[in-house]
Amino acid sequence: MQTYILKRLGHLVFTIFIVSLIVFFLVRLKGDPISVLVPPTFTQEQIDAVRVAWGLDRPLIEQYFVFARKALTGDFGRSITSGTPAMELVLQRLGATLYLAGLSALIGLLIAIPAGVIAAVRRNTPWDFLTTAFATLGTAMPNFWLGLILILIFSVNLRVLPAYGAEHPLAILMPAFTLGTGLAAQIARLTRSSMLEVLGQDYVRTARSKGLGERIVVWRHAFRNSLIPVITAFGLQLGWLLGGSVVVEAVFAWPGLGRLIIEAINVRDITVVQAGVLWFAITFVLINLIVDLTYAVIDPRIDLRRSA
Amino acid sequence: MRKLVRSITATVLIGLVWAGSAFGQDEPVTFTFAHPGPIRTMDAPVTWFGSTHWLTNTLYDCLIWRAADGDGYVGQSAESWSAIDDTTWRFVLREGLTFHNGEPLDAEAVKWNIDRTRTREDFLVQPQWQFVEDVIVVDERTLDITTAVPEAYFEFAVSYNGCQILPPDYLEEVGEEEFARNPVGSGPYRLVDFDASARYVFEAWDDYWGGRPEVDRIVYQVIPEQASQIAALLAGQIDFVRGVPPVEQARLESAEGIELITGPASIQHILYVRYQTETGVLAENYPDFEPITEDVRVRQAISHALDRELLAEVQGSGRPSLLRTDDFNPEHVGQYAGEEAAIAHYDPELAKALLVEAGYDPDGGDRPVLHLDAPDFQQGNEKEIAEVMAIMLEEAGFDVELNILALSAFQEQIFNPGNFRGIALTSVGGNPAITPQFYDCDWRNPNALPCVLDETGRWDALSREILATVDFDQRMELWEEFWDLYVEKAGEITLFHLDSTYAINSDFEWDPRPDGWMTFRDLKVRR
Repeated sequence: MQTYILKRLGHLVFTIFIVSLIVFFLVRLKGDPISVLVPPTFTQEQIDAVRVAWGLDRPLIEQYFVFARKALTGDFGRSITSGTPAMELVLQRLGATLYLAGLSALIGLLIAIPAGVIAAVRRNTPWDFLTTAFATLGTAMPNFWLGLILILIFSVNLRVLPAYGAEHPLAILMPAFTLGTGLAAQIARLTRSSMLEVLGQDYVRTARSKGLGERIVVWRHAFRNSLIPVITAFGLQLGWLLGGSVVVEAVFAWPGLGRLIIEAINVRDITVVQAGVLWFAITFVLINLIVDLTYAVIDPRIDLRRSA
Repeated sequence: MRKLVRSITATVLIGLVWAGSAFGQDEPVTFTFAHPGPIRTMDAPVTWFGSTHWLTNTLYDCLIWRAADGDGYVGQSAESWSAIDDTTWRFVLREGLTFHNGEPLDAEAVKWNIDRTRTREDFLVQPQWQFVEDVIVVDERTLDITTAVPEAYFEFAVSYNGCQILPPDYLEEVGEEEFARNPVGSGPYRLVDFDASARYVFEAWDDYWGGRPEVDRIVYQVIPEQASQIAALLAGQIDFVRGVPPVEQARLESAEGIELITGPASIQHILYVRYQTETGVLAENYPDFEPITEDVRVRQAISHALDRELLAEVQGSGRPSLLRTDDFNPEHVGQYAGEEAAIAHYDPELAKALLVEAGYDPDGGDRPVLHLDAPDFQQGNEKEIAEVMAIMLEEAGFDVELNILALSAFQEQIFNPGNFRGIALTSVGGNPAITPQFYDCDWRNPNALPCVLDETGRWDALSREILATVDFDQRMELWEEFWDLYVEKAGEITLFHLDSTYAINSDFEWDPRPDGWMTFRDLKVRR
């Protein structure tokens, strides 16, 4: 197990290295950061002075190695537009994004799992149709649109929830529900199909013929065995949640990492973009590692020692 | 089971209603502004972004600042100021000034700040403070600022971003990183709480030299999405939205407790005109291309072909203009100043005659091909503006090749590299007119270099003369000549100035500023 984790951590380092290369060069491909950093009235001389002050006059490769060397010590440089350490800005926001993504995932699972299981068990009943309709609608509905509709209902008309920010304890509800709905739709559909497959297996028939109660058959025998594809999809969807949070954070003015990155991209604050995207990547890879580790817990047939 | 579900539902509903009522309480008097974000830093000279300085303006005082009504300057820390000679300005500070933490704000503190701003190369405003040659402390309340050459716009420059006075002792004691977390100023409001780039809460300072502000708390809440800003305003959770689009105005106007105000946005829509092939990537991309707009008569024809009044109407909130200067500056002078002059400039027959004079025969089928590049959306309705412009130009005898791109594509492919063959529609903010070197030949933007249009070199000379002429009347005479050249050479063509519509909670009284700044020092509560 330890060998497996170490090996995966090695992969993580390699992945982060590749991501750092891509991010470093991509943010520079978008254009000269100086062109949006300085006021339009700057002369060429003034622009050159700013470029030198921020080390942007050096060859790209040299800039990358300076960046990589510092990043290894946790120093991602200072935000060009605010002077604040980029790492500090990222860490300030990362927590809010993880909180949002975590609660969204929880809401998504709380809706999706029962809905998917019930739809499979009561196939071709109104429950099944309702779940399928929800899954289709939830997948098709853009989350910014759902977010605005929720704001109209709960903030503008009912006036029971704050429309923006993170100060109020209930401010998380609408963004988390908005983000969680898309996840719930995907997972519900997958849970339903996975359960339908498992419910048709011989061992389920055997369990029933032994006279076990339907609840035990469904939840203890069928459900657990239907979880592997669901967990795989869930792990991938968590990445989608992190990405999706960018839009939802903007709609609800949620002070998360996604919004920070978008703001930084718009003004080509390259140090913040680099730090933010790398942390997104690290978070995503770590989540996937955790998901992989849970396979062994769910399904004893999976031996991580052999995988190592 | 049903009972359990019912009690959980009831508890959640009661919780929601309780929580909902909690954020409806408005004691003390709090004003919340929906800031589009991001907010950079409270270490003021680090950045030049105006939207961040809306906040630093709340926390800090400068020596002097632009008057709210656009008429000159008012003293903040400075009680009085005057030019001793062409290159020396004397400032006398108010008596007994302190920062929020009690540290004295004296002449030494001002000198420390100006020296810090003009010498720190990593500060984005540093280059704009190079006009200062020295700061000399005369006594505790008096200081002289000297410049190497006469600076006509000294007052503007000294009240520009980076003018904010920070407490030297405190900043040196805690260091810059800690200061950015716990900034201290001397303005009418103290910063009592903030979440970087998300929410800044300012509280009225009892000991402000100008008296305690009327509104207890000013909150700058970052809400990037405009639809969300408007929803929050309708929900009564914020008090102010800037730049309300026309499509939302009727809804907000009919909402109870919300008032719409219109004011200058400090943005102008202009056409960049290609009149040479040396700048940008034009020669690389279109070798041997000869722009029809090299001929001044063709450029003038374009300018006369455009009905600026109608174009402003298509935009939704514009005012026709021939001069590229914002509403704050007094330099709207001469025969081409004002809306009427811009409206009268529209003369399609004259445009056609100018084309004939230039050797074309529009009625006989010899129509010059004019390339028009435009973004689909920048400030609003640019696509429609470009389409209407194309019709106007066609009517005047041009054959228009219209190329409309998404904004980012337009900027990356056309605007930034200087890759347009005829005219390009764009909008510009700020006040280039106050800094005529904006038009210098060596200015970085490859698209607009009107100085080369004037073979005599008069344009270039005028730009420098204006900047060095301290006498107001003399300077205005030079500006008149400058604007005559600007309109007649048509190296770029100004179309209209943009207005912005603001939606405000009607419990508050606020007048829009001519410089378009969202600062609320003078905000009043309606009794």
